[in-house]
Amino acid sequence: MKYFFILILFFFNTAWAALPTVELEKAHVNIHDKKSIERGAKYFATICMACHTMEYMRYDKIAHDAGVVYERMPVQVTTWPFGVKPPDLSLEINHRGADWVYTYLHSFYTDPSRPTGVNNLILPNTAMSGILTSFQGVQILLPETEWHHSDFGSGYEWYDLLDLQSHGAMTPEQFDAMVSDVVNFLAYASNPYQIEQEKMGVFVLIFLVLFFILAFLLKQSYWREIKRKQRK
Amino acid sequence: MKKNKLFTWITARFPLNEFSAKHLTHYFAPRNFNFWYYFGSFSLLVLAIQIITGIWLAMDYTPTAEGAFASVQYIMRDVHYGWLIRFLHTTGASAFFVVVYLHMYRGLIYGSYQKPRELLWLIGMLIYVTLLLEAFTGYVLPWGQMSYWGAQVITSFASAIPWIGKYIVVWLRGDYVVSGVTLHRFFALHVVGVPLVLLFLVFIHLVALHYVGSNNPDGINTDHSRASDETIPFHPFYTVKDLMGAVVFLIVFFSIVFFGPDMNGFFLEPENYVPANSLQTPEHIAPVWYMTPFYAILRAIPNKFLGLAAMAAAIALMFVMPWLDRSPVRSIRYKGMYSKMAICVFVISFVGLGYIGIEPVSELRTVLAQFFALGYFGFFLLMPFYTRFETVKALPEQLTG
Amino acid sequence: MTSKENLEEKVDEERRCFLRRATATVGGVGLAASTLPFISYWLPSTETEASGNPVQVDLTPLQPTQQLTIVWRGRPIWVIRRTPEMLATLPKLNDDLRDPFSNEDQQPPYAKNLYRSIKPEFFVAVGICTHLGCIPTYRPDVGGVSPSWLGGFYCPCHGSLYDLAGRVYKGVPAPKNLEIPPYDYLSDNMIIVGVDQGQKT
Repeated sequence: MKYFFILILFFFNTAWAALPTVELEKAHVNIHDKKSIERGAKYFATICMACHTMEYMRYDKIAHDAGVVYERMPVQVTTWPFGVKPPDLSLEINHRGADWVYTYLHSFYTDPSRPTGVNNLILPNTAMSGILTSFQGVQILLPETEWHHSDFGSGYEWYDLLDLQSHGAMTPEQFDAMVSDVVNFLAYASNPYQIEQEKMGVFVLIFLVLFFILAFLLKQSYWREIKRKQRK
Repeated sequence: MKKNKLFTWITARFPLNEFSAKHLTHYFAPRNFNFWYYFGSFSLLVLAIQIITGIWLAMDYTPTAEGAFASVQYIMRDVHYGWLIRFLHTTGASAFFVVVYLHMYRGLIYGSYQKPRELLWLIGMLIYVTLLLEAFTGYVLPWGQMSYWGAQVITSFASAIPWIGKYIVVWLRGDYVVSGVTLHRFFALHVVGVPLVLLFLVFIHLVALHYVGSNNPDGINTDHSRASDETIPFHPFYTVKDLMGAVVFLIVFFSIVFFGPDMNGFFLEPENYVPANSLQTPEHIAPVWYMTPFYAILRAIPNKFLGLAAMAAAIALMFVMPWLDRSPVRSIRYKGMYSKMAICVFVISFVGLGYIGIEPVSELRTVLAQFFALGYFGFFLLMPFYTRFETVKALPEQLTG
Repeated sequence: MTSKENLEEKVDEERRCFLRRATATVGGVGLAASTLPFISYWLPSTETEASGNPVQVDLTPLQPTQQLTIVWRGRPIWVIRRTPEMLATLPKLNDDLRDPFSNEDQQPPYAKNLYRSIKPEFFVAVGICTHLGCIPTYRPDVGGVSPSWLGGFYCPCHGSLYDLAGRVYKGVPAPKNLEIPPYDYLSDNMIIVGVDQGQKT
């Protein structure tokens, strides 16, 4: 996680000197929450996939997880409104980190100077459209005088700099929950083997600890002789 | 008994008994090997893991610019236990350097490079350089952004060679930039060429070791051809001890494999989850942790040729260490104050350089890197003096502890 | 050496013997278990499994005696439209065949009949010789392979012979009848290969 922070810092220094460093909000990923992953898959298949691909995840599997009909998923996107090919999201969480994605999806604000009409706090001049505005509502960047620290001792959070002007289709709580679900799904899609990995890990470690006890006793039984000789 | 018959049939035609006697049951090792002596056998264990998992990965990997990144994801997601085999291999790569560095450190503090083990140390250094080559060629294969730009930067090193440098770079890459051609030849080197060299070197490393016998923490001579109060047969004593150590190693190893193979970006870098793009360099690139000390030396010197020369010298100096050390004793236990301080400076410099190599460049870090580089080179270059002019402690008659 | 030390050494030796065995056993179990991922690695991957999805075949263009080859799981699947004359040859051959009643498990239960098919007219089979995996040729020409040939399949690799229901002749290297894949009729003129009869897709 620290690594991303450095990356972001670096980005800020060069690209957007006017904005302060924004702390990443914790995403609290839980890959065991199957319901949340399914909801996230549904959001992903119906909203995100209008532009983004998920090349390395089987689309039939996403459709299955999301409970949507495979044929009706918008997966054959070839044109994008602003010409930039949006990144493939198969490995987004491994690349950016869950906290980054969670904060990123929260921190869009109105910016008439951008062709999309929105800008982002942690990815300045992002090419992504304000597709989430209809859910989150319209946010604006506060003037510097109105920035405030919500938490002592840390930098600014995204909500310290932005102000929600009008509600979208969701309350802030509902929007948080939706973004959590999407991040959860993305985390699952980045490492779909993780549940099996952790389960197997527990077995392997228990076995090795037991084996260690035997190996230790075996070693002691031989080395007792050396120790005895040394005592003499 | 049938088994015995087969055994006699074989032993009449193959020196099985003689071999195991010479190298196991009648190879006598000093009885006071401590913690540091585990890492040689761990290296062998990791080598075995890397070879087996590597063979398996090669079965589903595609060494082309178009297919490489996707084939790794195919292994991770679609091949049964592909993720496990790959994480074993990626964790093994870093683990290899952990154990090899600790193994080298052991040689350093107990003077295992001194007469008559100079050649043993030289072969070991060759193994280390070969291992760097193996790690580098392997790191390119996933064909992510770090793979690509790592290859681009490291092959560019050759361009510092006067006059012919730029031709050598193109020759190395087989293209004007790093491309699928480069990837394919690195693949061949990684899976066949370099491992063969590595196996051969490991073999002669062991042959040399068993010819001169193991050193020990006291750095005094022992006779490896006969049992005494000081020496014990390698088998069973060190085999059971190394087995126990190996299990502890595996516990740590598998904890990483199963619960955090990324190691927070140290073993698998986040930027490498983005497919290689020859038109866009990532904002911050750094080699994997085991190469960063040398990378930091490179960056610390504001001149292309001198920077590379310093980096090469940093490795070359390790080769000649047997001839830099003029101390009458081997082990740090009996060396004088200067040597002890020098080792401390060396460790701090090496770790410091490693840390700076990971971080992005800043003015302060460059100054620090220069300072640490001074410590690193000072350790080697001043060795002939501080080892000779310090007072050493008297060696014990017999092995201690 | 005192007797106490002797005793101590004897106890040690027994202990070692036991521990050696225990460590070897547990270690052996661990090693055996660790081969499992390496063995599973060779199984068809999820992608390959997915590419083994059922395949639909339209029977409308198929003329009598014609053969149609489609690919399912990378293997050739034949569909042959048999004429009543061809079907009439089947009952005559019992004595010449190795397994005339299809007792070997080479077909799904709904194809375990004289015609080795759901509908007698359409024969569906995996076109791979049960001997060593070559692809037999379709030889409906009566008298073509031998003077008494009634039509069937002839494997060019080692000369195995099958009748028009894919049943293997006696005295040829192939041991079993041709395999019948799972399939079902979606409608009168549409079959789906890879799904058992009556099973929901």
